[in-house]
Amino acid sequence: MIQIEKLTKSFTTKTGKGFKKETVTVNAVNEVSFECKPGRIFSLLGPNGAGKTTALRMIAGIINPTSGTAIVDGVDISQGNDEVKKRIGFLTGSTGLYERLNPDETLDFFGQIYRLPEKKLKERKEYLFEKLGINEFRKKRMGQMSTGMKQKVSIARTLIHDPEVLIFDEPTSGLDVITADSIIDLIRESKNDNKTVIFSSHIMSEVDLLCDDLAIINKGSIIYNDSFENFKKEMKADNLTQEFINRVKEA
Amino acid sequence: MRDLIIIVKKELTELLRDKKTIINSIVLPTLLIPILMFGGIKVSQMISESNQQKTVQIGLVNAPEDFMKLVKGDSLNEITNYTESIDFKTLIEDGTIQTALVFSSDWQTHMDSLTSSQIQIYRNGTKDNVNGRVSKMLETYSTELKKQRIAQLRIPVAKMTPFSENYIEIGEQKELIGKRVGGFIPYIFILTMWGGCLLAAIDLVTGEKERKTIETTLSLPISKFNVLLGKSIVASLLGFLPALLNLIGLIIGLNFIDGIPDEFKLAINEMLNFQSISMILLLLIPFSLFLAGFIIALVAGATTFKEAQSKASPLIIVIIIPLVMALLPGIEFTWSTVFVPVLNIGLGVKEIMAGTIDMGMYAAMLFSLIAFAVAAIYFSYKKFSDENAILK
Repeated sequence: MIQIEKLTKSFTTKTGKGFKKETVTVNAVNEVSFECKPGRIFSLLGPNGAGKTTALRMIAGIINPTSGTAIVDGVDISQGNDEVKKRIGFLTGSTGLYERLNPDETLDFFGQIYRLPEKKLKERKEYLFEKLGINEFRKKRMGQMSTGMKQKVSIARTLIHDPEVLIFDEPTSGLDVITADSIIDLIRESKNDNKTVIFSSHIMSEVDLLCDDLAIINKGSIIYNDSFENFKKEMKADNLTQEFINRVKEA
Repeated sequence: MRDLIIIVKKELTELLRDKKTIINSIVLPTLLIPILMFGGIKVSQMISESNQQKTVQIGLVNAPEDFMKLVKGDSLNEITNYTESIDFKTLIEDGTIQTALVFSSDWQTHMDSLTSSQIQIYRNGTKDNVNGRVSKMLETYSTELKKQRIAQLRIPVAKMTPFSENYIEIGEQKELIGKRVGGFIPYIFILTMWGGCLLAAIDLVTGEKERKTIETTLSLPISKFNVLLGKSIVASLLGFLPALLNLIGLIIGLNFIDGIPDEFKLAINEMLNFQSISMILLLLIPFSLFLAGFIIALVAGATTFKEAQSKASPLIIVIIIPLVMALLPGIEFTWSTVFVPVLNIGLGVKEIMAGTIDMGMYAAMLFSLIAFAVAAIYFSYKKFSDENAILK
């Protein structure tokens, strides 16, 4: 379960030339509230620069919120984000893998960091390697792998500690359809395993395939938050993409 | 601590699989000093041998017989006699001759009357070999003339030698060479340490951004401080390692390369004993952490390798200036210089190698370097925690 209440993130930048400097504060995420339930897939939609990644980074404990609260699997992120991080699996479209390590070393590293007992780590690693078909390239360095291979390893490292909450930040961006399909399968499986799943996207076909609940974020603020079923009922446009565009423009 | 060890192990594995790091931090520092020593000795031997075989074209005007005889005594001298002083500048510039000696026209009269005469020497100040050999000839000729005059005047030799100099060296050979050579040694290892730290720090921070793994690292359940400390330790190790390999290279070079004067070799070997090496290396541990922390702080906001390099490179001036100061006469290892980073290492290493280090001052220097290292790590932690900079 993820409960977000008035979550805000401000970034301060200094602009100007010479001695004349101006400090500008921008709210990348502004008093955002929503709830993601276990066994359901929550989609966070929004155009580029809307604040999706910033919101997900705050939930994942990568950056600290300026104000507001986020409770992830019963733990408030303000009470030390390492506890929250242990409960989360975070996956992005850019895979984020260490290029000079091989899959074996990568999963050992993540397993050790998540403090998995040695035996459990070995079992979990073998299970994921088998399930995702990583065995044949488990000793190959990431830098020498194809994007599809990397994404498989990325999924394995996200699931190594069997997290209760899964966060996917534009997980299919830049991937070919076959690799993107493996991510969609993973999201579905996680839902079936009663995990709390939140994913950000601006690809409406993916949303249609997976989504149970959704929120649309634009310029840092939530402009829609309800179940996907209700969203479809309230649709005025002919298709999801047009409805999404209209709602963003109206906001 | 456990998390820190895992991070250090992973970062080290990654770095040591990078060819650039292996070459810059291991291969080059190990070979640098032996190559420099071997190359330096060979080149100076070659230059000296080739100089000895070179002919010197000398133009002479009014040269007396005895001088002509002296010049002809060396078969490598080619003499051209001129009847009068002409435009020797042009002749030297176009290579007809390399130097010209013009004796005054009344030379013999002055010699007979035991008065002083004059020789005009046309030369190009940059031709060391030619000028050196001509100076040596003139010195020999002058000594010979003096001897003749002393004999002619029947002056006892003792009367013309008011005193003789007899030096009794009270400084040990080790102290003498240590103070002279000791200043150059930190140059070598501090510069290679800088190179090692710089490459590692950029790879560990900016490289992670370029490879898009920084977000993955920050999503791990480890504190940012542990991540930063792990990176700083690895960067400092990759700086410390070349310095250590430099010292090993120096010892190997001294023992296996021919042509180094024996007394110099002995003195350096005596200086680089277990105690002095341990003392130097102990100083380098906090110093490498200081460098690593400082560089990480500088490159934390950079998004590309090039940007990181341009941000960190000016720091080299802050390192070189104190190192140069440490070589200047009059700047000593005192309580006022003991707390100045880099300068204290430059001066301290000289004292350690000369065997004259004050242990109280050494301890103060060590603690000051530890304090600087802690401050640099804290500074880099602040920069590393800046979300605007690190997730740029």
